Amino acid sequence: MQRKKWIFATLAILPTLVIFAYVRIYPIGDTLRLSLHKWDILSKNKPFIGLANFEELMGDPLFLDAFVNTTVIAFGVLFITIPLALVLAALIHHRTRSHFVGFYETSIFIPHIVSLVPAAMAWKWIFDARLGPLNALLTTFGFSPKAWLFDPVLSVICIIVLCSWQALGYAVMIYLVGFKSLPTSLYEAAKLDGASGPQSFWRISVPLLKPITLYVSVVTLVSGFNVYAQAFVLASDSQGAPGRQVRVLVLDMLENSFRNYRVGYAASEAVVLLAIVLVLTLIQFRLLREKGRA
Amino acid sequence: MISAPKVRTHTTIRLHRRRAALFGSIVTAVGLLVNLPAFAQTITVWSGYPEMAPFYEHVAQGLKAKNPNLTVKVEAIALREHEKRIALGLTSGSAGATVIELQGSTVRRYLENDLLPKAPDAVATFVKNPANFGEFFSSNASYNGTVYGIPLFRGQAALFYNTDMFKAAGLSAPPKTVDEYTQYAEKLTKRDATGNATVSGWSLRLSGGGQGIAEKFWINLFQFGGSVLEQTPDGKWRANYANEAGRATLKQYLQNVHVLKTVTPEMPADAEALERGQTAMFIRESWVIGDIASKAPNLNYATAPLPRGSIALPTNLYVKANGDAAKAAWEFALATNEPENLVWLLKNVGWLPNRTGVDFSSVTKAAPAFAAFVDYPKDYKFFTLPSIAPIEEVLTRLAAHLTNAFRNSALAKDDAAIDAFLKTAADETNQILRREDLLGK
Repeated sequence: MQRKKWIFATLAILPTLVIFAYVRIYPIGDTLRLSLHKWDILSKNKPFIGLANFEELMGDPLFLDAFVNTTVIAFGVLFITIPLALVLAALIHHRTRSHFVGFYETSIFIPHIVSLVPAAMAWKWIFDARLGPLNALLTTFGFSPKAWLFDPVLSVICIIVLCSWQALGYAVMIYLVGFKSLPTSLYEAAKLDGASGPQSFWRISVPLLKPITLYVSVVTLVSGFNVYAQAFVLASDSQGAPGRQVRVLVLDMLENSFRNYRVGYAASEAVVLLAIVLVLTLIQFRLLREKGRA
Repeated sequence: MISAPKVRTHTTIRLHRRRAALFGSIVTAVGLLVNLPAFAQTITVWSGYPEMAPFYEHVAQGLKAKNPNLTVKVEAIALREHEKRIALGLTSGSAGATVIELQGSTVRRYLENDLLPKAPDAVATFVKNPANFGEFFSSNASYNGTVYGIPLFRGQAALFYNTDMFKAAGLSAPPKTVDEYTQYAEKLTKRDATGNATVSGWSLRLSGGGQGIAEKFWINLFQFGGSVLEQTPDGKWRANYANEAGRATLKQYLQNVHVLKTVTPEMPADAEALERGQTAMFIRESWVIGDIASKAPNLNYATAPLPRGSIALPTNLYVKANGDAAKAAWEFALATNEPENLVWLLKNVGWLPNRTGVDFSSVTKAAPAFAAFVDYPKDYKFFTLPSIAPIEEVLTRLAAHLTNAFRNSALAKDDAAIDAFLKTAADETNQILRREDLLGK
């Protein structure tokens, strides 16, 4: 009977496992395989070249530029999003009596559901050096206007701002769920002991929300490393208003695959990206779990 | 009891008739469905130039009389996305009956890998006929002497300038030498009270993604006698811009951006800037004429040939289809080259048709701006992008380096730094060529 149940369970889950393996595991395996080959996407020949693609990557200034930019963007988004989301979620959660709570939640979450390209186009207008409202605001207060989308540093900051704006809504929603699951008795006890609101937040909420912080930070960091469309749209070379192309890893991969016809080389970049994200995720798990236990 | 069989018989007969009618209807419907593909043909046109969509629709409309069952779907998207689409579409084999626009310099990889079929004999004869196409265009549509495509149009550059701005600056004629371009730019730049440029004197391609920056740099480099790549006696290639011509070209960019400040990377650029009065002059292909006609019909402008010569970048049509669909697709591709359609193309889109022996005078007379593209000096020279596999990579990587150089004000007055920059970029170009076994001696 037990054996029959086991067979039934296996058969029931098998189609899902097969689909998962085909659409998730196989592409990863194939990418790993391709990274060791030279392939131009068109040719039937894929000669094995060992680690040559990885060796070339280490000396490729465009890849290194993309790597640095992507890392700065991913961590920039992480460091802006997590604390801000935590604070915003706390404010919304502890102000539930306000008539505007729905408005707060909606206005913060909307950027996350807005389609990425139109949102990036809107931000492109905001950052526009000549016609953008941001520079108009700066000039009103006596500051000189900035070439936001053209300066090497400012253009990276623009992408961090755009990505954080989009990531914030999701992080706040997850934190709000976390806040709602926290036991109110702890806050009541803290209040009786004379703890202030900020003290309760810092001593109770932050430590108890560590599992949530772990989840949100992993998701934010992984999506930060996968940044592409924001960089592409902000520098889209539509006539008349191009911007500085901030080179990021996914953009570099696409360029190597479909412009330079170097799929093997692009696959080696994908493997590096996979390794980075994997290592960083493991570090996050380790750090937050250990601290959680302590 | 006796009548019952009669009734049954009548009913049976009616049922038989109904069944027969139903059966007949099904047979007819199935027959129609089976035979439908023989009558109806659907071909898809993949274009990398959105402004070309009306042209292909015009050609399809013209074919309606001859082939009423032909349906032509035009899918025109931005060039870089179009290139990705081709790479994925042709290799996956799911493209269907497709007429594909491709530059002669890009198609080489696809032909080397047998991903595009050779043209039928009738098409090859048409293309090889010197009365239809010059040798440059027919060989551009061929590989190893076999015709694979039909030449259609070319990108050829000239100077576009705002005549009102020239007049206001006291300039009565377009610049004729490379040095004059900078002098003119200085005179044409409009500035605000603080001295910042509000209208660029000469719009240069300084930012954005892709290889366009390097192509524009090559056009300017050509005016100084240089070339991004040069062919060596062994038939291979090497970088040819880490030299005096390269230095002069980059220095001209830097001088305009950082010393004279006639243009900045963040200023509006390209055709839109000319159409909106945000730049006084810029170098671009002939399609701008059609663009101005539709977007800024009241703009007073003129064109002029470049000091030494221009890029000529042919775009051809290739077909990926089988059987009857292939026949229809090649018919469509051939129809694009009918004189009436080519005149329509020049008049309404502005890209220069490659076919010879067609009377375009009705268009060129009505739009004098075409003169710079067809009435150029006798010693005017042309260059094109080499048909080598890594050409896109060479240009895309050079473009990335150039974008950084254009922002570097320290380079502007330092020839040694410019030389060092050019050497680094040229070394990378040669490295790419070496990797592909294309580096000449």
